Amino acid sequence: MTHASTRPRRVSPAEVRSRVGEPDVKKRDKTLDHIGVYARRFIAHAPFLTMATADAEGRADCSPRGDYPGFAKVLDDRTLALPDRPGNKIADSFRNLAENDGIGLLFFIPGVRETLRVNGRAYPTDEPDVLARMQTEAKRPVLALVVEVDEVYFHCGRALVRSRLWDPGSQALADEMPSAGEMAAAQFAPGADPEAFDRRLEDAYRKLY
Amino acid sequence: MNAPMQQTVVDHIDRAAEDVVSLALRSASGPLAPWEPGAHIDLALPNWLTRQYSLCGDPADRGSYRVAIRNERLSRGGSEYIHRFLRQGRTLGVSLPRNHFRLEPAPAYLFLAGGIGITPLLPMLRAAAASGVPADLVYAGQSVATMPFADELRSSYGDRVRIVATRRQGRPDLAALASALPPGARVYCCGPPAMLAEAEAAFPAGRLHTERFHPAPKSFAPNEEFEVECARSGQTLRVPADESLLDVLTHAGRPVGSGCREGVCGSCEIAVLDGEPEHRDDIGAPQGRMYPCVSRALGPRLVVDL
Repeated sequence: MTHASTRPRRVSPAEVRSRVGEPDVKKRDKTLDHIGVYARRFIAHAPFLTMATADAEGRADCSPRGDYPGFAKVLDDRTLALPDRPGNKIADSFRNLAENDGIGLLFFIPGVRETLRVNGRAYPTDEPDVLARMQTEAKRPVLALVVEVDEVYFHCGRALVRSRLWDPGSQALADEMPSAGEMAAAQFAPGADPEAFDRRLEDAYRKLY
Repeated sequence: MNAPMQQTVVDHIDRAAEDVVSLALRSASGPLAPWEPGAHIDLALPNWLTRQYSLCGDPADRGSYRVAIRNERLSRGGSEYIHRFLRQGRTLGVSLPRNHFRLEPAPAYLFLAGGIGITPLLPMLRAAAASGVPADLVYAGQSVATMPFADELRSSYGDRVRIVATRRQGRPDLAALASALPPGARVYCCGPPAMLAEAEAAFPAGRLHTERFHPAPKSFAPNEEFEVECARSGQTLRVPADESLLDVLTHAGRPVGSGCREGVCGSCEIAVLDGEPEHRDDIGAPQGRMYPCVSRALGPRLVVDL
């Protein structure tokens, strides 16, 4: 645990700007207020995104969403919809959005170093025409999230280049992690059988819709 | 069980009508698998979705397949992808053709097409005309602009083709067509659910052949749990009331290739060795076969060849 006395020092916003320098390209120059043709192609090929929300007090949360490429549906050039697939039923994002409708999405396409950022405001819907477009393996989600888009921009690929995210060799990192079952058993159920946890998880992973 | 795939290249994408494109898929190597009128293929799209489309080109052309696709308003990602994002030159996996809509011999034919339902009927009409059997086509659509191949059909077959623009002319009178049907003639119908329902009411069942793009509305007794034994592996699985047989097999590590998951495409066909399936598909399973995406069991147990 970190104690206050040993906490790293805080840098003021003005000092941050002076150390980082002025932006290469003014952010507003590369920001659109709608989903342009390239953003639309990107979204149609993205099987994964992260979704950031915060509650009324600004307590933040980020969660992964994934499905077949194009699972985020473009309803028009200012509106997106995301299916709510079965998950852990904690629904942190929905709870946050009920208090604070701000949302930040970051879309990824395997193999592409650039990512797409979409910021806006979101609310849940059960509109049949929206859910119908999300039917997969004969199952329709019960809810979807409508995102009203304010900002759309491509983010440069340096972070993904540095992280070697799409380099197949990077997958060797997974060997250094204990299985999810081992971690869960050790943290939450000491003495439980990690392999039983892993088997339950594998079963759950086979049932995706 | 996954059907072998053939590699094709998108040779060209043409606008065939309002909201309809036709794709010419050229073989990437060697001749493509042969097919007969009425056949369809699975198209494996770059966005991982697999969709079924009727072949509407010339069966004699072994170098390419042709399909035509309407951009569905509530696309689940297949037709929208093809219309907006598919590019010429892209390689696409295509299944071997399957046919649940074969042209049976008859002294005369009446073909009834609704909108994009023209696709399987196009090669049927060509085959009938080539063999000299009298064949008529009644082709209905909202307006001529939305109807693919309307001009091509009119110029090739003249007054054997009747184009009905329903927004202006109303729907074709199928009862009148039924009463004028030549003796022994067979009727092939493909179109929207309303047209299929009207055809089923108008024509004798023994002479009517239909193909659906979407399942017919049906109702069944509530689902019951049953057991399935996979004969080859000896594994016995429980199929709960709220899960499909296809899902249970897949979750148990016995994946079955599947496409529509609605009982219309036939790609998940499996062999049944014992027990009586409750068929819920729109294909009409051959004896000893079933479509586990929708079909269940009449008794407590099925034995399947997996």
